[in-house]
Amino acid sequence: MVVENPVPPFSSWIGLASLTWLLVVLGVALAGLLLGFLIALLRHGPARAVRLTGRAIAGAVEDLVRMSPRRVWALASLAFREAVRRKVLVGFLVFVVILLFASWFLDPDSDEPARLYMSFVLTASSYPLLLLVLLLSVFSIPADIRSRTLHTVVTKPVRPSEIVLGRMLGFTLLGTALLAVMAIISYVFVVRGLAHTHSLAAENLRPVTQVHLAPGAAQPMVGETDKVHGHKHTVRIDSAGNARVEPKRRHWHEIFVEQTAGGTKYRIGPEQGSLRARVPIYGKLSFRDREGFDAKEGISVGYEWTYRSYIQGGSPAAAIWTFERLRPEMFRDHVPVELNLEVFRTHKGNMERQVLGSLGVRNPDTGLFVSVTNFQSNEFLSDEERAIQPLSIPLLMVRKKVAGIDVIQRKSKTPEGGVALSPNDPHRLKEAQDLRSQLKEEDAVDLFRDVVTRDGRMEIWVQCVEPGQYFGAAQADLYLPAPDASFMLNFLVKGYLGIWLQMLLVIGFGVMFSTFLSGPVAMIATIGALVGGLFKPFMVKLATGEQIGGGPIEALIRLVQQQNLVSELAPTLGAEVAQSLDVVYRVGLRGMAAVLPSFGDFSYANFVADGFNIGANTLLVHGVEALAYFVPVFVAGYLFMKMREVAR
Amino acid sequence: MQQEIVIETRNLTKIYRDFWGRQKVHALKALDLEIRKGEIFGLLGPNGSGKTTTLKLLLGLLFPTSGQALVLGRDATDVTKNERIGYLPEETYLYRFLNAVETLDFYGRLFNIPTALRRQRIADLIDVVGLNWAKRRQLKEYSKGMARRIGLAQALINDPELILLDEPTTGLDPISSRDMKDLILKLRDMGKTIVMCSHLLADVEDVCDRVGILYQGELKELGRVDTLLKMHDMTEIRASGLTKEAQEEIKQVIERHGGQLVSVGTPTTTLEELFLKVIRQSEAHPGRRVRGAGVEAGVSDGR
Repeated sequence: MVVENPVPPFSSWIGLASLTWLLVVLGVALAGLLLGFLIALLRHGPARAVRLTGRAIAGAVEDLVRMSPRRVWALASLAFREAVRRKVLVGFLVFVVILLFASWFLDPDSDEPARLYMSFVLTASSYPLLLLVLLLSVFSIPADIRSRTLHTVVTKPVRPSEIVLGRMLGFTLLGTALLAVMAIISYVFVVRGLAHTHSLAAENLRPVTQVHLAPGAAQPMVGETDKVHGHKHTVRIDSAGNARVEPKRRHWHEIFVEQTAGGTKYRIGPEQGSLRARVPIYGKLSFRDREGFDAKEGISVGYEWTYRSYIQGGSPAAAIWTFERLRPEMFRDHVPVELNLEVFRTHKGNMERQVLGSLGVRNPDTGLFVSVTNFQSNEFLSDEERAIQPLSIPLLMVRKKVAGIDVIQRKSKTPEGGVALSPNDPHRLKEAQDLRSQLKEEDAVDLFRDVVTRDGRMEIWVQCVEPGQYFGAAQADLYLPAPDASFMLNFLVKGYLGIWLQMLLVIGFGVMFSTFLSGPVAMIATIGALVGGLFKPFMVKLATGEQIGGGPIEALIRLVQQQNLVSELAPTLGAEVAQSLDVVYRVGLRGMAAVLPSFGDFSYANFVADGFNIGANTLLVHGVEALAYFVPVFVAGYLFMKMREVAR
Repeated sequence: MQQEIVIETRNLTKIYRDFWGRQKVHALKALDLEIRKGEIFGLLGPNGSGKTTTLKLLLGLLFPTSGQALVLGRDATDVTKNERIGYLPEETYLYRFLNAVETLDFYGRLFNIPTALRRQRIADLIDVVGLNWAKRRQLKEYSKGMARRIGLAQALINDPELILLDEPTTGLDPISSRDMKDLILKLRDMGKTIVMCSHLLADVEDVCDRVGILYQGELKELGRVDTLLKMHDMTEIRASGLTKEAQEEIKQVIERHGGQLVSVGTPTTTLEELFLKVIRQSEAHPGRRVRGAGVEAGVSDGR
């Protein structure tokens, strides 16, 4: 699975994030206050302006602190009831209708039916729901103002904060109820859509030829099941009579052999393994270049998408994943490794032939390196290949079964131009050298004693063996799978929690904009804010100058003069003016990027569809992030509502 | 004894401006007004004279351009004053998807009225406005008169001290209109202060103790209805059972004393009185055509 924006650990994220949040919120609040003060100053003169500003602050604090939960609840249930009585459930019917006819279009013969089904239902539930809550939240307050029903409400002891929060809460409740029903229907749809079994007739099995049989052993057999959902499975029966259904399209089946009077019968169980929630343990990726020096990144092979970095084959270049906090009790007799590398070939030869790579483990403290195994990789690694030849690191690696044991010092260039070595402690190095030389053929390296450090750190090195070929690697490409989490929980709760957080943002922004804009304009503003959030990473790149080509004015000059993006502009006065203007633009852009939510990050469709568990850390970080947007957006909505003359 | 001032405006001015801050309408010009506890105050004026603007300023629905409005001793923009206010808007701006009970329940909750008390009040008010038979129907099915009634009920849900009524009798049939006026008088007798604005002069005359007449945003006249309407140099005598000769004699007496006779004739009743009489008799004797109701009304009413 591609993880472009990995979620940082909560503990290391929260400090800086809350500081940034505080600064942005305070900045916006102060700017608003200053603007209000200036307007009051122009209208009423300094003395009254100070008094009015003071009163506004005190009033705002009072309105926010002294909200009555009962009134908020009354307004929320009104919003809920209004939405229901105005037949918004039609939106929900759209979802049901989509699902009813979905089987016409969803191809169960696809290579990854589980992925297809799950990404489909998650999309089919998120879009109608988000559209529905968007329409509800942006049109509700303007409609109330237009029909003047709000007059009757605000002439009761209702604070503007209660009106805004009541709406937000009411629509959130409605959306939550809809989402819960959608989630359950989707779950049933996916599980039923993927469920299938096969049958195998005894006559479809044929003996495996060219096998040397031990005396008394049964003849191994191989055969194929019938074709269901567009695929067949290979079934193998070994000489001991054990039958196995080989995986296909990310699932497998159990097989039961029954001896009856009419002969041997084979019964194949329901499909398994397509609905998973893998729990990956990720390491931190770094690189070693072809001269053997540490590097932050590998080589660029010229792709625009810079997600993966490449290592050259037949050289010391390596992709190194450093894992932390590994403990022996996490693994039984081996450490499984899941790997999905990209291959870049400089010469094609036989495209079918896979590119050879090697996998090794290293102790970061002593430098002891064990070359564990070789593997082959193609442009992609299919499931069948992975399932047949899974990569794993045994906890005890017998000397004669591993390709080599070595002691490797990592080299890095110091800023002064020198070379720093790691480990540099001669005592540690000697320890590793001694171990290496003492190991006899039958002796084994104990992974947790010799390779993993006391605090649980270990490096896994991947190298490309074939000169002229390259492996592309990203951090999420290699991980150690922990036992699977519950798929049901992952799909029903965590997957839909992402949509719920998105819904919360839509409602927050929608209601906030609708307190001072008309319905259609508020809708455009909300969509603008959220779609703008999708481009946040690009905006940050533009603002920090990381994006080559400069700001909009510089880019315009380049466009008109037909200059490329890389070369410097000629140092004319015009160019300097353009670049200084772009600086102002960048500051504005930076501010905007800081305010907009990265809406797309809240979608977990990829996690669920690819069969990965959504970690508690991800949920925690995103939950806090959504709340961090919701609170100031609510306060802003309240302030706009308060300033508004309802009867105008 | 000087009674407690419930509403006080000082130099209250409202100018409507457009988006660019340009002056569009000078809706209210420096209004100074005091309304005391326990009176029914009527705001009169033609359309666009500033009646509704005044009411909205008092409710905090609009912010004054300058000047100040104090309601129950608090600034009009302070929401806590609303605890003791009831407001019936010009048209019944209620949620049409709720029924009568739900409507009153919703507004009751906005006052944080405890559940038991709220239920009691809802039942009482639905009874008072006579909507028991339609209390479970959604308001969108209500006629205009029914909507007015439920509107009034919501204005009374918090047992307010001050009631602001915007055109309370508009859209009501004469019976409902009379009921409304009777209810207003009853509320006054209960010690509540009522401010209403209307351009139905007869209604204002019927119920109001004091009136203010607005024209183009300015207060042109203010005072007690009976004082304002009294024609100081006129005398009215009404008598029954007089012959032609007796009338002639009275005319001569007037002339002898230097008075000027303005008119002599048989007085007519008001159409409202006639209508009410007909309806009441019809209710008492269904199916019979009411005859001579006007004469009877005129004689018995003797106004």
